[in-house]
Amino acid sequence: MSNHQILNPADHGTLRVHTGAGAQFGDTVMACLTVPLEFRAVQAHYPIVFRRDAASGQFSALAMFGFDNGENLFLEGDRWDARYRPLAMAIQPFLIGRPAAGSDTPQVHIDMSHPRIDHGGEGTRLFDEDARPTPYLETMAGRLGDLDHGYRQYPAFFAALERHDLLEPFTLDVPLDNGARHSLVGYHVIAEDRLAALDGGALGELQLEGQLLPIFMAVASLGRFADLVARKNARVALG
Amino acid sequence: MTGSIQRVVIVGGGTAGWLAAGLLAARRPDLSVTLIEAPDIPTIGVGEGTWPTMRETLASIGIAEEEFLRECDASFKQGSRFDGWVDGTAADSYLHPFTAPPPGDMRDLLAAWRASCPDAPFAAAMTPQAAACARDLAPRQRAMPPYAGALNYGYHLDAGKFAALLARHATTRMGVTRIAAEVTGVIAADNGDIAALTLRDQPALAGDLFLDCSGQAAILIGGHCDGGWIDRSDVSFNDRALAVQVPTARDAPIAAQTVGTAHAAGWLWDIALPTRRGIGCVYAARFMDEEAARAVLLDYVRTHVPGADADQLQPRQLIFRTGHRERFWDRNCLAIGLSAGFIEPLEASAIVLIELSLNALIENFPASRAAMTIHASRFNELFRYRWDRIVEFLKLHYALSRRSEPYWLAQRAPDTIPARLAEQLELWRDQPPSSWDFPRVDEIFSAASQQYVLYGMGWPAPPAAAPSPAAAARLVEVRERARALAAALPANRTYFTAAAAAAAPHERLVRT
Repeated sequence: MSNHQILNPADHGTLRVHTGAGAQFGDTVMACLTVPLEFRAVQAHYPIVFRRDAASGQFSALAMFGFDNGENLFLEGDRWDARYRPLAMAIQPFLIGRPAAGSDTPQVHIDMSHPRIDHGGEGTRLFDEDARPTPYLETMAGRLGDLDHGYRQYPAFFAALERHDLLEPFTLDVPLDNGARHSLVGYHVIAEDRLAALDGGALGELQLEGQLLPIFMAVASLGRFADLVARKNARVALG
Repeated sequence: MTGSIQRVVIVGGGTAGWLAAGLLAARRPDLSVTLIEAPDIPTIGVGEGTWPTMRETLASIGIAEEEFLRECDASFKQGSRFDGWVDGTAADSYLHPFTAPPPGDMRDLLAAWRASCPDAPFAAAMTPQAAACARDLAPRQRAMPPYAGALNYGYHLDAGKFAALLARHATTRMGVTRIAAEVTGVIAADNGDIAALTLRDQPALAGDLFLDCSGQAAILIGGHCDGGWIDRSDVSFNDRALAVQVPTARDAPIAAQTVGTAHAAGWLWDIALPTRRGIGCVYAARFMDEEAARAVLLDYVRTHVPGADADQLQPRQLIFRTGHRERFWDRNCLAIGLSAGFIEPLEASAIVLIELSLNALIENFPASRAAMTIHASRFNELFRYRWDRIVEFLKLHYALSRRSEPYWLAQRAPDTIPARLAEQLELWRDQPPSSWDFPRVDEIFSAASQQYVLYGMGWPAPPAAAPSPAAAARLVEVRERARALAAALPANRTYFTAAAAAAAPHERLVRT
């Protein structure tokens, strides 16, 4: 189970974290959360789809790595075959924490049960001998800040999509070269015809809110499904 | 007989002989390579530090880095640290790392160093390697491709195990023929060349080219062939060493560099392998007797190796004469290794000279006996140049000292300083060492090495204008890179413990 702690040099002064890619580090996942501010980078490699949480009714955005649970078609041994890893993957094993309910200052937390936590002396240190954050931790803190900022934009982003009715259910049927079929069910994507039909006033409003760019990036990302299918076919062909 | 050179006979099965066999077999598979090794001759076991060149050498022979590290009990070497060479005080220490300073004009970089971080040692200002060395870190992570690192590195190794690995590899995987026999004589050809070697209890062995890798015995180059001898003890005084190997604890830190510590009449080497430290006291017999040297050695062990039982150690004495052949290549015999020359192991020049000799031979391999004479003369000129540079560079370490013992005063006596070095020191008051001073391809000690010693020992930076913003930015990059690497690289001990754990299941698989 997870074991979240507030990161600090007293407890984590000599802790090391594995920064490479690999199944042993928890990278075998078919998707991860993504936030609108990174859609431009994400869509260069991964399809972006949306999913509504059955319990809360809230939407979230996902960057897709595979078609089945535990399938990451970008993971090749110890290599992640894309130049950009979505923030939610890149920040592991760190998390954003809040010191108290209602507080606005995010803290860096760390999941001490995460497989990226090192127990053998390899990996990258978080603090140097003088208890100062290492460049790695500085980078991670920056990414956590970006991700936190991105999550805060979620309500406005999805409110805009719902206001203009721009989400539609999406089912992808994937015929593979070997005759097998895969399907993705239960996701949403941007409704392109309704997006195309928006009038100037609506577009201007989305533009002013800063939502137009991520919306189009999400549309463009669907072209990445062809790449994902090709990766799947390649993996099936290799057995 | 067409005079073509097909049969290479190597005499001697130490580091030099087996490196020669491996490299020749790898790079000239068309040749027939035979190595004659007298049974029961131990390797001298002093050449236990390599240069970064060894990575390419091993890769070209086709030995996996992991296998090499495991089989030779090897560790990573990122340079040499010199303690006590300037004045012998506690803080007296400088590093000669393998990674060069940032690109750019050294005068400008020196000005930036003086302006931005005058309290940092020169090496720490110029390369992130200093931070890694100070923390006993490995130059690479295990996930990196073999023979690649975040910092430049060579190895510390067990020379006996190294020769054994090379021998196994060359004979079982590369088709090198090994003959265990003692060479008893030479059968000369009409032109005076070596036609064949006579062997005890075995038929004579004919060849076209003979490599004398017989170590200090120099049975060919100092026997049938006369390579002559140029004595360099007028410049390089040390002629004795007492060596011990001290086992270390399984969790003891493994130093990232050779440590050379000055004493009253010489210096001590300290080379850390995963299981032991090789420590030796180098001295000049006319300034120190064996008993005093032994006391210096054991005192060092007591103070520097936690848990060592110094009283149980039996130091082995080595006596050497400093110098080299006048002609390394004479007729159809080429001397490689200690048969070619010997100088104190202050900058680990022994193994790299073997590699450089073999590269020069293989890339200029004589196609015919007629061409061999030309190649021999070129080789002799090149290696005379290299030996001169080695002698001068090692002398530089002494020439800049301020120690006051008689030995050190004698080391600085002007009549013992080679003229070229004296001239360079004059020029280096006005300008930093540069490739103008060391213009050849594969200079054995580049301008960067000279800079590390010179400014490490406190030589004043030449007068310069204010540093350029670019030079200042370079030094900031070095500091940032040092922070990043200090965080990302594992300790040497961690690296080798993890590598051993990872190799263990595989070992079991192979052995059952």
